[in-house]
Amino acid sequence: MNLCLKNEVRRCRPLLGTFVEITVECEDGREAHHAIHVAFESIARVQTLMSFHDLGSEISELNRLAFFQNVAVSPETYEVLKRAKKLYEYTDGIFDITIAAELMDWDLLPRHSFLSQTDFSGRTKDIELLPNRQVHFLRPLCIDLGGIAKGFAVDRAIQVLQERDMQSAIVNAGGDIRCFGNQERPIWVRDPQLAGQFLSLPALKNAALATSANSYDKLRRDSRICPHVHGQTRKPLPSPSSVSVRADSCMMADALTKVVIALGKDSGEILSHFNAVAFIAGHDGRMICYGGRQS
Amino acid sequence: MRAFPFHLVSVPGIVLVVTTPGFATVYLTVEQAQQMIFPGQSLTAISLTLSEEEKSIIQKRYGAPVNDSMKIWRTEDGRYFIVDQVIGKHELITYAVGIHPDGSIAQIEIMDYREAYGDEIRQKRWRRQFGGKTMDSPLELNEDIKNISGATLSCRHLTEGVKRLLGLYELVLKK
Repeated sequence: MNLCLKNEVRRCRPLLGTFVEITVECEDGREAHHAIHVAFESIARVQTLMSFHDLGSEISELNRLAFFQNVAVSPETYEVLKRAKKLYEYTDGIFDITIAAELMDWDLLPRHSFLSQTDFSGRTKDIELLPNRQVHFLRPLCIDLGGIAKGFAVDRAIQVLQERDMQSAIVNAGGDIRCFGNQERPIWVRDPQLAGQFLSLPALKNAALATSANSYDKLRRDSRICPHVHGQTRKPLPSPSSVSVRADSCMMADALTKVVIALGKDSGEILSHFNAVAFIAGHDGRMICYGGRQS
Repeated sequence: MRAFPFHLVSVPGIVLVVTTPGFATVYLTVEQAQQMIFPGQSLTAISLTLSEEEKSIIQKRYGAPVNDSMKIWRTEDGRYFIVDQVIGKHELITYAVGIHPDGSIAQIEIMDYREAYGDEIRQKRWRRQFGGKTMDSPLELNEDIKNISGATLSCRHLTEGVKRLLGLYELVLKK
């Protein structure tokens, strides 16, 4: 059976609460399918480790215990926490992974019964990263990696595909995209104003792109709640439209979309620092861009 | 920290807008999905007729009946391979699930994904695709639209579909 049509293998699995699609260009279809399988497994592992909903995840363990004792975590979780802390510092607290308290208040995340505290006054700066991948919270706090883990999962999948010598590949986890190889990939973004319309973004090559937008559901009608929260003010951040960020890694692209939603055009410096560009779909269907390479 | 000024980047050309009634992606055929989930196994198609009681239990427990159009295969060592469809507000998804004898999921693979917009599509022709019934005229779905970013699509309908199949396994197939 020839599993490799047009020298391209494309697969899709439900992961991370969305549809994850992996496309690989290959000479050997069997190898490509195997590499894709391992890449999906690496995404599933990130989901298992970092899900807020899953009571057995490392994030749940941290939220339950890390204020009371040191908790050892996997290299993956440690890495994401490290990057989240750096971004917290660089954005003066606008990007903050301790917004789970607000999201629980707004019923956008479940309130687990194991969370005995109700006062989560700690912030990302109160997360201590100790040697031997031990984590400790200096104040009571509650982590949600929803703003960064999906991008990290995409990066992990890309790493797996590169390690297995795939010529080129693209991973798309519900809009968090990263690719490598010689091709320039056309990228479409859903028009936030009109379902069924797609806006073209500059083609992607050896880079990542993530988009944050309010979906076409009840969240749009209620401005008091929103999955995006300003880390400093703790207020909801209704996305004006659709914000896409291109960066070197998908984790950074994913995280920076929240910073751009918070700061608008004032996010230019931060984007430049991380070698990232933001594309914002305006109401007239035209694209506004901030950031870019440091000159 | 913010030592350098930001600058705007010019976007080349005019932003291209594509309007589409829908798009489709085909990932795997039935045979390919079988090889992905249970490689090297020989599968035997089985036909299943549910009693009214079984149908009503599943409907009650899972909020929806199992699809009449679903197809079931069995491996020699008692594992099941099921092809099913779920329909959302805008999407129609064909997927395959492998189930181990202990009722755990071996693997889930999306076989094809179709997304469509417009009231007319949603109400009539779109729904008629479901259940393998003949369409009056086929929907023209664009296969060139790929690498889509934007508001994350939930796979909730699919998760519910899989739960329903696991319920079917516990209630009927396991025996």
